[in-house]
Amino acid sequence: MLLTKQLMALRQVARRSICSSAPRQVENKVPQKQKHFQEDNGMPVHLKGGSADALLYRMTMALTVLGAGYVVYELVKASFPQKKD
Amino acid sequence: MAHQAHAYHMVDPSPWPLTGAVAALLLTSGTAIWMHFNSLVLMTLGLVLLLLTMYQWWRDIIREGTFQGHHTPPVQKGLRYGMILFITSEVFFFLGFFWAFYHSSLAPTPELGGCWPPTGITTLDPFEVPLLNTAVLLASGVTVTWAHHSIMEGQRKQAIQSLTLTILLGFYFTFLQAMEYFEAPFTIADGVYGSTFFVATGFHGLHVIIGSTFLAVCLLRQVQFHFTSEHHFGFEAAAWYWHFVDVVWLFLYISIYWWGS
Repeated sequence: MLLTKQLMALRQVARRSICSSAPRQVENKVPQKQKHFQEDNGMPVHLKGGSADALLYRMTMALTVLGAGYVVYELVKASFPQKKD
Repeated sequence: MAHQAHAYHMVDPSPWPLTGAVAALLLTSGTAIWMHFNSLVLMTLGLVLLLLTMYQWWRDIIREGTFQGHHTPPVQKGLRYGMILFITSEVFFFLGFFWAFYHSSLAPTPELGGCWPPTGITTLDPFEVPLLNTAVLLASGVTVTWAHHSIMEGQRKQAIQSLTLTILLGFYFTFLQAMEYFEAPFTIADGVYGSTFFVATGFHGLHVIIGSTFLAVCLLRQVQFHFTSEHHFGFEAAAWYWHFVDVVWLFLYISIYWWGS
């Protein structure tokens, strides 16, 4: 008797957790984003998202500067004959 | 935010053209350094910088269009011209490789045995996996058109389903082609046959991956309500690109796989 009740409960749970539509309900955040990015705060679009933008920008620029320096070094090194031991 | 008296888009100053240019420098020099001095650092750095640039530049374009409303009809017209011109340049890119193929195969040299396929080359049966690949890409052309109509009719769920199916078909093509590459009885080093085969189909495969990625980004945007039934140019651009990839395959299939076998 208890086993039957448990089985019935299991069947109900199984039915509830099967989603009839994929994907699950995603909320429309576009109006929020529109308000945020249209704020007249003088920020350029590549930084207007917030602190994550600034972090990613700084990281990218650091790699750019480092990379530019490194490539000049490698190309100058490659331009001279290498001493072979 | 009505600071302008015209419908055009004066973009904010952006660092991404500079970072992209440096990425290109690092990639090209890095490839040369890799080939001569066996060091992958420069090329890898270039690749990372390229990916960061692409992510942030296209993120900004989505912000400018979808969130800031800068993509007015005249601006969208410019974007359409831009995408069409870009795809045209890619057509010319592939034209070169088809030229190379026909140059070598229409008048095969004595070194090849005076015949095409060259002596000793076991070609792939065009009616096996290559034909399946053709069916897969043609089907994906249908599903992407289905997705477009769904978006235009405001059918959110169908748009998501058909776009997902298109991407899955793209992945299936890539998987099948990878298997073919692994199993092929000839390599890129097998004379001009191997060179023309793998360079042409290889660049095509790369474009399938790029196209699938573009469509995947569109899927994410569709899920996040970015597209309206009247305005969804990002998706249209991805669909144009996808059709281009499909057409290139048809030419490859007929020329290299079928006529060339």
